[in-house]
Amino acid sequence: MDSKQERNLELSPVLVPLLSVVVALSCGAILVFIQGINPILAYKVLFTTAFCSLDGIAITLAKATPLILSGLAVAICLRAGLFNIGAQGQLISGALASAWAGYTFVGLPALVHIPLALIFGAFFGAIVALIAAVLKAYRGVHEVITTIMLNSIVIALADYLTSNPFKEPDQPLTRTPKIQASARMNELFGLPLGFFLAIGFSIALWWIMRNTTTGFGIETIGRNKNAGWYAGISVKKTIILSMLIGGAVAGVAGAVETLSIVGRFEPAFNAGLGFDGITVALLGRANPLGVIPAAILIGGMRASGSTVQFEAGVAPELVDLLLAMILFFVTAPLLSKFFKNRKENVAMTSGWSN
Amino acid sequence: MIKRLTAMVAVFALATLGFAAPSKAASESDCGTGALFCIGLVTDTGKVDDKSFNQSAWEGAKAAAKVNGGFAKYVETTDPKDYAKNIGQFASKKYDVIIGVGFLMAEAMTKAAATYPKIKFIGVDQFQGAAVPNLTGLVFPEDKAGFLAGYLAGHLTKTGKTGAVLGTEVVPPVRYFGEGYRNGVAYAAQELKKKYPASKLIYHAPDNAFNDPAWGGTTAQQLLSQGYDVIFGAGGNTGNGALLRVAKKKGAYCIGVDSDQWGTLPEARPCLVTSAMKLIDKGVASIIANIVDGTDKGGNYFGDVGLAPLHDFAKKVPAAYQAKLKSITPKVLSGQIKTGVKL
Repeated sequence: MDSKQERNLELSPVLVPLLSVVVALSCGAILVFIQGINPILAYKVLFTTAFCSLDGIAITLAKATPLILSGLAVAICLRAGLFNIGAQGQLISGALASAWAGYTFVGLPALVHIPLALIFGAFFGAIVALIAAVLKAYRGVHEVITTIMLNSIVIALADYLTSNPFKEPDQPLTRTPKIQASARMNELFGLPLGFFLAIGFSIALWWIMRNTTTGFGIETIGRNKNAGWYAGISVKKTIILSMLIGGAVAGVAGAVETLSIVGRFEPAFNAGLGFDGITVALLGRANPLGVIPAAILIGGMRASGSTVQFEAGVAPELVDLLLAMILFFVTAPLLSKFFKNRKENVAMTSGWSN
Repeated sequence: MIKRLTAMVAVFALATLGFAAPSKAASESDCGTGALFCIGLVTDTGKVDDKSFNQSAWEGAKAAAKVNGGFAKYVETTDPKDYAKNIGQFASKKYDVIIGVGFLMAEAMTKAAATYPKIKFIGVDQFQGAAVPNLTGLVFPEDKAGFLAGYLAGHLTKTGKTGAVLGTEVVPPVRYFGEGYRNGVAYAAQELKKKYPASKLIYHAPDNAFNDPAWGGTTAQQLLSQGYDVIFGAGGNTGNGALLRVAKKKGAYCIGVDSDQWGTLPEARPCLVTSAMKLIDKGVASIIANIVDGTDKGGNYFGDVGLAPLHDFAKKVPAAYQAKLKSITPKVLSGQIKTGVKL
């Protein structure tokens, strides 16, 4: 790859995601136009509903909160050179665990109950990730396979637990009882409390990745495992640590969603959050701070999806389509770099953190 | 170079959008004023063209709009967290009638009925425990339709093995269909003096229960490979997946659900002997007619169920069986013959 192109790609970490979003929106506009609807109207509704009213912004940030956290979960693992596709399973595990902690412990003050529920969420999210991490570190099993399979296992287990031991009595729906009032995460200055927590996590992880030896270790192993090993960084420990962090953060994402929005665990109420986290992480170029604007954009699109359907008549799949195209375009330049680098045998995961 | 080209294309595409077609005139701006009778429909997390459940509710809404010279619109729900929001969108535009399709939406509908007392709500498959004047639950005795389907299945099966691929058992109407089917097969077996094993009912997990045709297809395939030759597909798009798979197997029968799927799912015709119908479209249209008359008082409205006509299978199913079905049907519908389903 010649130095000019390399410089262009590195000089503008913001340009590639921005351009991918613009190109994806243009392609989406063409499809909307084919459906017979004015794309300008559709996009106007999409963006004004999400960002141009106080209510809209509150809903957007509420939708963005779990995405920031699941995006972080995927981003940290990407930095270590691992694809954490299991964010959804880790998130559900955390959501169920925190719901259980939320309704089981009675009589605790909110200051104790909320952190306790969040810790439950983080712990059980981390446990799910640990399984994949250990298999990767000690047996070399590719984490994409294990994490995807673990997603199915966790979802099925959660369905079972919610239908039987954890089911809310005296009613037919599959869901846990409501969490106690002391476990509810409310609003701070009119914005969801969870949002501030997510920003806090993002800043903390950015600082860790930049300024601590742990962060340095993760980054190094991510770029080149052998160089890291040669420098004395334990590859196994780093893999396990980064997956644990990813799992814990994804678990907190599920916990925050349960404690702030849903108020209990009900299957199907956390659909897609883990997978959108992958899009968020890639759009944010695996940067813990870059994840925030990416999550707000995607959260806004998801928040206004049904309004676009209502006001402009666009099919509800439009948002899914736009997100898929954004994901495709954001990875395209990296794919071309991969093909160019094949001769030098550079691993594909080492390019994500540019 | 590629980057510049992409940027140029993007700018060009955006620029041409300025000349795009004008937006469709929103005639619903007349909705709140009373000048136009407006009907809104919020689907469950299936699709409005799911060939059975949501679709027949929408057909009823459209028919009622036509009769009253009104306007009907639907919104498809993609996330169960959005139920309240989708209902609220119609309510804030002051629609006259809002239809919420599906059992899982019951809580959101009850809250909305309390928040908007001037709007009439219709909850399809939402049994009303306590009657609320502006919320009518459209409910059906699904077990009777399932029983009739099972009765026919019991006669048609050559291997004695009958099965069903269903949505989630969390939703009572689905369980009524399944249990009714099983009891109908048992009743037929008793009449024929044969010993058939109890029907195998396979329910989907609660997550994405009605929009998983791939699972429906593979489950039907499992049943077919184990020798099951009559399969009841009851669960929106999930059930459709099962029906389509059975259609590929010669000699196997399939039974549809909710509406006459002979018309809505023609690809299933090779096996589709009948459908266990709940006449949602008729029910919705009748309730709206009552609302317009002023005779609707909320509470529960019991709709009609029945078996769809056999269509081309009328030539293949022995006349004796058809006669028996015909004589037993009014007895089951009137309750003279009990389905025996208790949940």
